[in-house]
Amino acid sequence: MTDTSNTDASVDQKLKEAYFTASQGQLIWQRFKKNKSALVGAWILMFLILSGIFAPFLTPYDATIAGRDKDYLNGAPEVPRFWDENGFSARPFIYTAERTRSIKTNFRWVTELKTDLEDRRYVTFFSKGQEFKFLGMKFERHLFGVDKDMIHIFGTDSTGKDIYSRTLSAIKTSMAVGTIGVFIAFVMALIIGGIAGYYGGWIDSVLQMITDTVRTIPSIPLFMALAAFVPDVWSAEMRFFFISIVLGFIGWPTLARRIRTHLLTERNQEYVLAAQLCGASSSHVIRRHLLPSFTSYIIVDLVISFPYMVLSETALSFIGLGLKDPVNSLGVMLQNVTSADVLLNYQWYFIPVIFFIVLVLAFVFVGDGLRDAADPYSDASK
Amino acid sequence: MLQFSKFVAIRAALAILTLVLVSFIVFTLMELVPGDCAERYVAFKNSQGSVITPEDIQIERIRLGLDQPYVQRWGSWIVNAFQGNFGDSCILRVNIAQLLGQKFYLSLGLCLSALLLAYAIAIPIGILAATSRNAVLNNSLRLVSYLGLALPNFLLALMIMLFSTVMFGDSLTGLFSKEFRDAAWDYDKFMDFLGHAWLPVFILGWSATAFAIQTVRALMSDEIGKLYVTAAEARGVSGRRLLMRYPARHALSPIINSLGFDLNRIFNELPIVALILTLTEAGSLLIEALARSNDQQLAGAIIFMLTGSIVAINFVTDIILALTDPRIRRSIVG
Repeated sequence: MTDTSNTDASVDQKLKEAYFTASQGQLIWQRFKKNKSALVGAWILMFLILSGIFAPFLTPYDATIAGRDKDYLNGAPEVPRFWDENGFSARPFIYTAERTRSIKTNFRWVTELKTDLEDRRYVTFFSKGQEFKFLGMKFERHLFGVDKDMIHIFGTDSTGKDIYSRTLSAIKTSMAVGTIGVFIAFVMALIIGGIAGYYGGWIDSVLQMITDTVRTIPSIPLFMALAAFVPDVWSAEMRFFFISIVLGFIGWPTLARRIRTHLLTERNQEYVLAAQLCGASSSHVIRRHLLPSFTSYIIVDLVISFPYMVLSETALSFIGLGLKDPVNSLGVMLQNVTSADVLLNYQWYFIPVIFFIVLVLAFVFVGDGLRDAADPYSDASK
Repeated sequence: MLQFSKFVAIRAALAILTLVLVSFIVFTLMELVPGDCAERYVAFKNSQGSVITPEDIQIERIRLGLDQPYVQRWGSWIVNAFQGNFGDSCILRVNIAQLLGQKFYLSLGLCLSALLLAYAIAIPIGILAATSRNAVLNNSLRLVSYLGLALPNFLLALMIMLFSTVMFGDSLTGLFSKEFRDAAWDYDKFMDFLGHAWLPVFILGWSATAFAIQTVRALMSDEIGKLYVTAAEARGVSGRRLLMRYPARHALSPIINSLGFDLNRIFNELPIVALILTLTEAGSLLIEALARSNDQQLAGAIIFMLTGSIVAINFVTDIILALTDPRIRRSIVG
């Protein structure tokens, strides 16, 4: 009897010890795990990011014009099936589509499905396909494919590019633009907000004035003005980097303000005074004492600002000032749905839109959950 | 009274300083655009068939004053801008003030109505969400406000437009019917305008509403837990009277403070929504100037005017806050 209570107490003691010695990161993770919607968001986000990174393997075809299917333009999604009137098949298969034009179709091109047994295309896994490069190595195995011709589970666009392949590669591009943008914004915010917050006084006032002015100018018109510089002769990659940099240059003020406010309150704390009295240099105080005190907040801020970067990229590409073909980004994909023709005849163009909404929603849920988790008083207030 | 006029004077000086800084940023941007107005004009003339020599470009430069040093040109630009004169458009060769005039006020009207709509919806709903313990209501409101972010306005505009084109055969685009487009303003034109303007206002207000609900809810829940509310409750004030007289009043002042930034967010959406709905106002003119014709004078003027109206709103809200709250009046002056 006493034994069990002893072990209980020791377990309790251990738990308490673990709680008190836990790092900031561990505490945040503990609180984050309790938030169900944020956790689901995190799983979805992870799934989307991974599928973006491994896009060349997960998708059967190249996302650029090199992977086009010239026999299946504006083709409907082909959903693999297991049976039809010709019988059951253990291997999933799709039908062969053929475009025909005759007096019967009023001389318009019409896609006809051939449902005969010999026209089945069987889905194969880990099949050989177009070569792609990943981490500097060459591969030619894709997750799935079909034994003859091609498969398009999300359909194809007007040039015959596979929408499924394009969507995954668009996620990758948009995430890359967002990452570079957030990184640049973060470095600028750290420098400007750090200087303003640490030195205070008139330096702070001047920097605050500038930060507030940049914050006042509506950012999308400013983006547009900056993006209008891009000469038409630039390659897609140059354009990509330029747009990311522009996003970063405009995203910094909010972050800089947060860093400054935090530094202003922290630098008057006693532990900073103690370090200074011990003879620590400015850079030592900033690196060893001030920065660790709010890394977790910065990470949270970065996650929260991420969807805004993705949204801005989308908006820019949407009006034709951002990324352009052959680069696939979510904005480029959204641009494709802007005609009534799409809504009436080619509804599958909207599939990337769903991915886009889910991606942004997942980010917002995770960001919100992280913000609650990083706030040490969030439990106390409930 | 003296204190108050001092406050107004300081705020006004700060607002003007901000505008000067903004004008510097905008002007520098316009300068950075490859090529200048003279070249663009000459290129335009070239496409019209007349032969132009490098000397002509030089003459045009001098005529436009482009040969003067940078700071001097900035100085004259900002002085003219404060008088509402932005010079001539590079391509269209029309005075910008004349070109923009009414269109800019149309845009401003649309955005301000969207802001008004957003808070007209958000304040009651936000207060309701903060006071209610209903989990279903709270969670669905949260999802709606997240969707306000994840479903960007341009996507919403596109979907509504495509849907109505397919279902009703009317695309709901534009701001005026054909017969009123060039007519002078009168009652009929105004009613026609209202009949078209509700859609852009709704779409512009969509994500603003979502954000506003979040803000109002957060501010209200902060205030409701405070001791003065409990004290008032203990004295027997209850129900709507309690909410309106105590926490709501306090929760609303940060909202007034942030109106300028809300307007900023709506301006962000304006050009793209304008592009989709083919509105004939300043937002679409901005896209036209930036994406197609590279008209830096016009683009700079529009961005400056948009920012100017945000600065003006910030100034007005500061004054309103100072009028209602003596603490603010003292804190900034003292």
